[in-house]
Amino acid sequence: MKKLYLSLLCLLLAANLVLAQSKKKKSPAAFNKQNKENEKFLEKQWWLGVKSGVNLTKVNVVTNYAILAPTNYDASESGKKYSNFNLTGSHFTIEATFYFKHFTFSLQPTFQHSRFAYTNQYRWTDAETATNSVELNYEQEQKVDHILIPLVVKYEMTNTKLRPYLQAGIFQAFRVGATKSVTVSGIDQASGGQNEFQDESITVGAKDLFAKKYWGLLGGAGLYYNLGNNVRLNFDVQYKLGMSNVVSAENRYSNDRLAGVGDAMDDLDMDNLSISLGCLFPLRFLESGFKSLNRK
Amino acid sequence: MLTRILSSLLIVVMALTIMRCGEDSNLLTETKTFTSIFDSNQFSEGFSPIDIQQTADGGYVVLGESRLIGTQLTGVYLLKADKYGNFVKFVDADTLNNPVARLSKVADKYYFFCVKNKGTDAHLASFDENLDNFTTTPLGFVNPAASLAIDQGLLLYSVDINGKQSIISLIGLDGSTIKQKGYTIGDGDDSEKPLSEHFLKTGKQFPFDVGMVSPGVYYFNGFYDYTFSLIFTDINGDEPIGIISGQQDDGGFSALTPLSSSKYAAARYNFGDNYFLPNTQIVATENRPGIDLGGLSLPELISETKVKILRSVVKEKNVLIYAADTQTRQIGLYFYDEATGAFIGSKYLGFSNPFTIGNLVNTEDGGIAVCGTTYLAGRFPRISIFKLSKEEVASNVK
Repeated sequence: MKKLYLSLLCLLLAANLVLAQSKKKKSPAAFNKQNKENEKFLEKQWWLGVKSGVNLTKVNVVTNYAILAPTNYDASESGKKYSNFNLTGSHFTIEATFYFKHFTFSLQPTFQHSRFAYTNQYRWTDAETATNSVELNYEQEQKVDHILIPLVVKYEMTNTKLRPYLQAGIFQAFRVGATKSVTVSGIDQASGGQNEFQDESITVGAKDLFAKKYWGLLGGAGLYYNLGNNVRLNFDVQYKLGMSNVVSAENRYSNDRLAGVGDAMDDLDMDNLSISLGCLFPLRFLESGFKSLNRK
Repeated sequence: MLTRILSSLLIVVMALTIMRCGEDSNLLTETKTFTSIFDSNQFSEGFSPIDIQQTADGGYVVLGESRLIGTQLTGVYLLKADKYGNFVKFVDADTLNNPVARLSKVADKYYFFCVKNKGTDAHLASFDENLDNFTTTPLGFVNPAASLAIDQGLLLYSVDINGKQSIISLIGLDGSTIKQKGYTIGDGDDSEKPLSEHFLKTGKQFPFDVGMVSPGVYYFNGFYDYTFSLIFTDINGDEPIGIISGQQDDGGFSALTPLSSSKYAAARYNFGDNYFLPNTQIVATENRPGIDLGGLSLPELISETKVKILRSVVKEKNVLIYAADTQTRQIGLYFYDEATGAFIGSKYLGFSNPFTIGNLVNTEDGGIAVCGTTYLAGRFPRISIFKLSKEEVASNVK
């Protein structure tokens, strides 16, 4: 039902803005009529385009979960250590935008492939025989794909050929797929020497381990560069702030293979820094050969 | 135009409100399903579960045994977990040894049998759900092997190797012997040697068991007349009222659950092979070889696997859940329709590290809890609990 409401609101928003641009105002008689019409025409514009780029992910732990429950040592000794903003993901966006007097209202459906990783370590020792020790290191990498539906408002700071802008918005993300790989390595000193080993990675489909949807806020900045007559290049930086859990609480322990190696996902909010390049094309033309881009 | 912008902003705000949509954890979910492995960082320690019970606070107590240095005997290890599977407390009572199933819950106390100070004298131990108020009471006889709580007290099967008797007793909660009867195990090494090795834990571990079919009709799964057999008794007569004989120490029942006075869910082994009998007829007063009962062969199970049978209700149907150890070192759960004995599903627990079954119980929320041993880093035996939700169990049943 919420999806339906969202779709209706988007349509309403678009209709509202289209209606706004369809109304005409009377112009002052002192100006050249043609230039004035052009200027007025350029106050509003619909744009359609695409952008793509890379992204980096950071997760914030809301609640810790673990399968191994220590009985005689502190849980923090074997706790997960997340490495943030160090694995590159990718994304692709279709952008539909309406511009009006420096403000842009934009719907940006995005396919986002993001990656993040964590490690944890377990160690068993013998107080009486120092060589009796085993250390296991778990490296866990998550790759998760979402369809994001962001609603973004941008403010274009100038009317020049190169236009910097600021942006803010909100997004709803829908999970479409995920995989998880676990690599176990370790040092076994109980075999008469230091035996370093690494097991083959276990890679499993992990779609069900992630929540079907999450939401967040976004902010950022970017540049438009008007190229030629009717193309606008776009450099865009967004920071998406996850506001709800990306992990499925219900399915946390559902994967026997992961539970078997002692892994359970924490409750996480996921932030994402994305850098994109793209281009936009105007949808409204005054006449054949007219440059929709600002001609200043 | 300002009005238009404002109305657009209003729409955006409304959209923002609706889009605030995600999944958050809730505490109920976290009690319905979890997996916990209780770890110690000590290289030389090892723990294995024998039985599990859910406590009144929704948590779990596990009766386990711990590895002792310099002996094959084990110490008593009790573990308490909360309803989320978090570790709460343990009691490592190494002066108590060789605890045996079952861990029985009577009123607000928990009871089990063990021996003390690495000896053979049987003791009844009790404690509360917080693992406090621990008491032990000597019983005056030796080698407890299996127990079950019934209305009148605690049934106990024990073996007096020197006296060459299998003994079934009805024990009061205060440790008093209400009723007791012994039956010959036979003379000579044929039965004494495997029994000694069982209790010293230097050899094969037999699936000893004891239970009640109906008031006045009891059974034990133990040695009788040189053979590992299922013996029916009224704990009065000098002779058993019925005998389902095994193959000396190479065959017999590995688990048995009475469903009615003559219908049983059972599992048996014979020279290494395993057979499940989810719907078998046994008359308590008959004498017959157990091999005649046949059964479903399961080559995916390890040789002479430990088997546990749980009566449960899944999708409003009475279901038998068999738990056993697979060749892939997982815990296999096999679901059978109690009414017909038809196979209706399976589920496997564990991966990578080996897992073996301890026992399983129904939980208050309609799910099940399965305790087992896993071997962390492939070598350190540790107690694990798999809590499966009602829905998760149902999803494995046709």
